[in-house]
Amino acid sequence: MKLKSTAALIGSIIGASLLAATPAHAQNVKIGLLSGITGPIAAMAPPMIAASQLAVAHVNEQGGIGKGGKLEVVVGDSACNPQNATDAATKAVNIDRAVGIVGPACSGAVLAAANSVAVPAGALLITASGTSPQITSINDKDLVFRTVPSDDYQGRALARTLKGRDITKVAVAFLNNDYGKGLAEAFKAEFESLGGTIAGYSGHEGSKASYRSDLAELAKGGADTLVIFDYGDGTGLTILRQALENNFFKTFIGADGMKSDAVIRELGADNLGTFFTSSPVGEASSSLESFNKAFTAAGQSPDAIFTTTSYDAAFLMALAIEKAGGDNAKLAESLRAVSSAPGEPIMAGEWAKAKKLIAEGKDIDYKGAAGDHEFDKNGDVPGTYAFFKVSGGTYESLGEMK
Amino acid sequence: MTFIDFINFHIVPGVVLGSIYAVGAIGITMVFGILRFAHLAHGDLATMGAFIALSTMGLFGASPWVGLPVAMIFAAAIAVGIDKTFYDYLRDRPKILTVMASLGVALMLRSVVQVVWGVDSTTYQRGIVRPDEYFGILLRDRELYTLLAVATIVIGLEAFLRKSKWGKAMRAMSDNPDLARLSGVDNRHVTMLTWAIVGALCAAAGFLLGLNNELNSMMGWHLLLPMFAAAILGGVGRVEGALLGGLIVGIAEELSVLILPGQYKAATAFVILLLILLVRPRGLLNGKVL
Repeated sequence: MKLKSTAALIGSIIGASLLAATPAHAQNVKIGLLSGITGPIAAMAPPMIAASQLAVAHVNEQGGIGKGGKLEVVVGDSACNPQNATDAATKAVNIDRAVGIVGPACSGAVLAAANSVAVPAGALLITASGTSPQITSINDKDLVFRTVPSDDYQGRALARTLKGRDITKVAVAFLNNDYGKGLAEAFKAEFESLGGTIAGYSGHEGSKASYRSDLAELAKGGADTLVIFDYGDGTGLTILRQALENNFFKTFIGADGMKSDAVIRELGADNLGTFFTSSPVGEASSSLESFNKAFTAAGQSPDAIFTTTSYDAAFLMALAIEKAGGDNAKLAESLRAVSSAPGEPIMAGEWAKAKKLIAEGKDIDYKGAAGDHEFDKNGDVPGTYAFFKVSGGTYESLGEMK
Repeated sequence: MTFIDFINFHIVPGVVLGSIYAVGAIGITMVFGILRFAHLAHGDLATMGAFIALSTMGLFGASPWVGLPVAMIFAAAIAVGIDKTFYDYLRDRPKILTVMASLGVALMLRSVVQVVWGVDSTTYQRGIVRPDEYFGILLRDRELYTLLAVATIVIGLEAFLRKSKWGKAMRAMSDNPDLARLSGVDNRHVTMLTWAIVGALCAAAGFLLGLNNELNSMMGWHLLLPMFAAAILGGVGRVEGALLGGLIVGIAEELSVLILPGQYKAATAFVILLLILLVRPRGLLNGKVL
């Protein structure tokens, strides 16, 4: 009898404290941060994660989420492949109870994480580097967004740039995944419509030890220029090395995936005089400047690839969470509200201002470090690209691509 | 395509790659033959060996070749340690348990590599090396040395297995472990010796692959399928079979792009594996049936 009443007492205390605690206590909100920490883009991942973490730090320093809650980050390794991405996203959403995912990094990983985890679970997914045109057409219930433009734009811009540089005959080697294939197809369509000749066009599997026979086949078409759509920290490095060592081609063009420090570090800047890459860049803006300053102060290089988009993805996620005010079903709708014009402009880092305006019920428009982020109906943004050459051990911009 | 291009860009890379596969496949075939299970941690042990060589090189600041013997010794010790720690307990249980355990060991080894050496691609020697021409055939020094190293390893191992007392004991255990024990062969010692040799071979394979390409934490794992294909193609338990199998798989992969789209290169080893299991399960040189 005594035991029973004690249990009842404890039960009622717990119940009462729960009831009392909910409104009074701050609610921390978790988001998943997935990136290819291991795998072919391992060299790119650390600065990307640091940029997203910087956005989270800005949020938490300037008032946090809701009434004194903090934004918590669960970092997961999507390893740049669909299986790991699904596992990492499942853990973030179903075990850690993250309301949204920033990432994953690679296109194939994004497709898998979106289709099998985020969309069924109703979690918002914002990728900062998944660039495949395939992501546009995910049946996503408006839950999948990206702060980086689709490769359809990049492939076409690259084709126009090459034509502009009087390169009319190229061979294309692409990694046979969603990223490489998407880029290659967009590039090929535009290059051929401009009257260029594709003298060799071949996909390859990653992680083989030799690509000399592939390269010999590509070189047969007589092109001097090889366009490589691959990752500079993975197979792309092997291909570039073997092409250079065997004199298969004279000029090498890569897209954003090839713009990796590993390429310069392992092959040496001296050997890369004819190596060029395209890469999305932020348009000059006060938002970009303030990001650059904050990121440099955090001991990181703002020139590293996808840092601006990573920052924006995390910041937008936080804005959407704040705007939704605890109603997770409204996350996507809120994301559109905080990112689109019209509204009071919010620059990178201006969390306190944004929080205040949201609390007052005013409309805001986030102008990110990477761009304005006016999402279209597929959750895509248009992009700006620059063309880079290797100079003095790093990548140097040759100007914007049209 | 001229004949000399065919040699330079298909046969030469095929032979170099094939000989690296062969060194790995010899280890696989020995574990298969003597201990009778498929060792899935083989590739990741090779990765570890490659990175140990990298560290050794960094320590002495000398040619990467200094790292090879050191890596072989370390990897041999690691292999013996793995056997004592993980596989020994499972010796009397069904072999599939040991196979699964070896998969776990593979993941552990890979994680250790990722923790210690990181996940970025790296190389023994920075920069690029253009080949020298020998009667029209383009070869790099490192490729010549690779072939030389593989030849030395294979000849040394064959001599050991055929001439030495321990080598004969290993072959006896491969043929019939119970009979070997009755004849006074100490199975435990033979097992230990096998692991030491297998570990050293793994390190050599990893080192040679790293020397000819890049090092990264997944390099060995990706090597596993062609190595298994080579071991089974040559005939399980046959050292010279593994050598032959490795060369055939390597050359076949490089030749495959002549008739197939490049995407299917990785499937070549699969196809060879399937065909040989279907048509001649004992392998080219009449190995064991598993």
